[in-house]
Amino acid sequence: MAVLRRMLPGAVVAVLVLGLPLVVHDRYLLKVLSFVGIDVVVVLGLALLFGFAGQISLGQAAFFGIGAYTTSVLVAALGWPWLGGVAAAVLVSAGAGALLALPVGRLKGHYLAMATLGFGEIALIAFTELKGITGGTDGLSGIPYPQVGSFVARAPEANYLLVWAVAIVAYVLAANVVALRPGRALRALHGSEAGAQASGIDVARTKVTAFAVAAGLAGLGGALYAHLVGFISPGSFTIELSILLVAMVALGGMGSLPGAVVGAVLLGMLPYLDAVVPGLTKSTVEALQSWEADIYGAVLILVMLFMPHGLAGAFRRFFPGRGGEGS
Amino acid sequence: MSLLAAQGLTRRFGGLVAVDDVSFEVFEGTILALIGPNGAGKSTLFNLLTAFDRADAGRVAFDGRDLAGLPPHRLVRLGLARTFQNTQLFEEMTALENVLAGAHTRTRTGWARAALRLPGTAGEERDAREEAERLLRLVGLEAVARTHAADLPHGTRRLLEVARALASHPRLLLLDEPAAGLNSAETGQLAHVLRQVRDSGVTLIVVEHDMGLVMEVSDEIVVLNEGRKIAEGPPLLIQKDPAVIAAYLGEEAADA
Repeated sequence: MAVLRRMLPGAVVAVLVLGLPLVVHDRYLLKVLSFVGIDVVVVLGLALLFGFAGQISLGQAAFFGIGAYTTSVLVAALGWPWLGGVAAAVLVSAGAGALLALPVGRLKGHYLAMATLGFGEIALIAFTELKGITGGTDGLSGIPYPQVGSFVARAPEANYLLVWAVAIVAYVLAANVVALRPGRALRALHGSEAGAQASGIDVARTKVTAFAVAAGLAGLGGALYAHLVGFISPGSFTIELSILLVAMVALGGMGSLPGAVVGAVLLGMLPYLDAVVPGLTKSTVEALQSWEADIYGAVLILVMLFMPHGLAGAFRRFFPGRGGEGS
Repeated sequence: MSLLAAQGLTRRFGGLVAVDDVSFEVFEGTILALIGPNGAGKSTLFNLLTAFDRADAGRVAFDGRDLAGLPPHRLVRLGLARTFQNTQLFEEMTALENVLAGAHTRTRTGWARAALRLPGTAGEERDAREEAERLLRLVGLEAVARTHAADLPHGTRRLLEVARALASHPRLLLLDEPAAGLNSAETGQLAHVLRQVRDSGVTLIVVEHDMGLVMEVSDEIVVLNEGRKIAEGPPLLIQKDPAVIAAYLGEEAADA
């Protein structure tokens, strides 16, 4: 009974999310929501790494890109099946995350931010300069739609369902992790590394795992993105994306998975506000899109100043006793 | 046989020898106090024993096993837990979650098992919670189990750290100035907890300034001064030791 009651709100949300295409037939809106779903997948990883373990990464766009390029090359150029390409994308990005964590895991705070920022820039240059693989600034095109057997997810509805099914599964897995022993180890790292060591937690190993999982989820998002859009180029994997992802976690609230999802949905929708707000003029939307990065930056500053615990913190303040614990 | 044996431990910081050729042993089921005036090298020695710092010379053996080269978290796994002079709690976690985190080495659920909630994870979690609640009761903190560590008063935080350390089911518990900043009622509660912990079979090493507490609970005292061991023995002998009185108790005796 207790288990059922605990799972009920989540199950209702999942059904509503997956049932949306039954009532919404607007192709543009479904496309926008698919991008938002991809943001959710990527942000879940960063929420574990940054929101729970307190390890900032300003290089998540790199893993998003590594995932996107990995599946694109394997599926479009080498003829791998879609599922194989996506699986490889996750593994390659997670491996890159673990490799990055080995040296930068010793760093903290600003130094970690700088090092991961540097990694993001290195990856961006690699995407641009490894022309033989990545197509350089021209990028890669003709990336096929997701396909399993003879079923091709070409319709916006199919893409929407695919992306959000992945997002929901990722959410459930992440929520289980944070509710149990590994989640406490992550939060312990955030609280006090000395205290974590004294509790028998292998700090270095926990960081490597957290980086790998966050990078794997970013790579998964990148792979979904590549097959959805059909075209990728280095411009999609810049520092702006990395900052946006950090802003999503911060807006939602450190140490809260529901918060991170809400942050991703709110900020992810922003440049496509016309999909949900009828009557927005074209120039308003264009202004939103050209000022996108500035808006994210402003949100980040305002959250840090006035709402350091994000939306989740504000929620807890207004509804004390609800969702206070990670379980 | 001794549970922990330090032999010739030395630690230098530049020209300063903070710990100078210190050897001592702790026997199973006893409370050993490590005392000395400020700057005597107690905290440095404490960090050497718990692998939070590396000795320039000497060695530490735990239950006959050389601890050289092992990182701190491995020591916990072997049965050696510690608390901190400046409490190192997980502030954004509740008291109960802090103690649960302390059970890390006694529990096994990893990322994959947790993510999939494989059979066994729920049972392990339930057992860990029951044990954490028992430990909170032991230190008298069951009423604040759901309070965040950040919101707990100082004395309570020290007791919570003791409970977290006990969650690993250590054979040896090292406490770094557990009574610092506590009022006399809290110190009394601490002394009560320490004796209970010892009676449950855990060996203790306590670095402490509070002479009342030291004399009350310890079976054996090691006195440090300027990095060197100047005396060791049971409380009644240490109180009368001329070298100790000269180095340390002398000031207090003069005041009294």
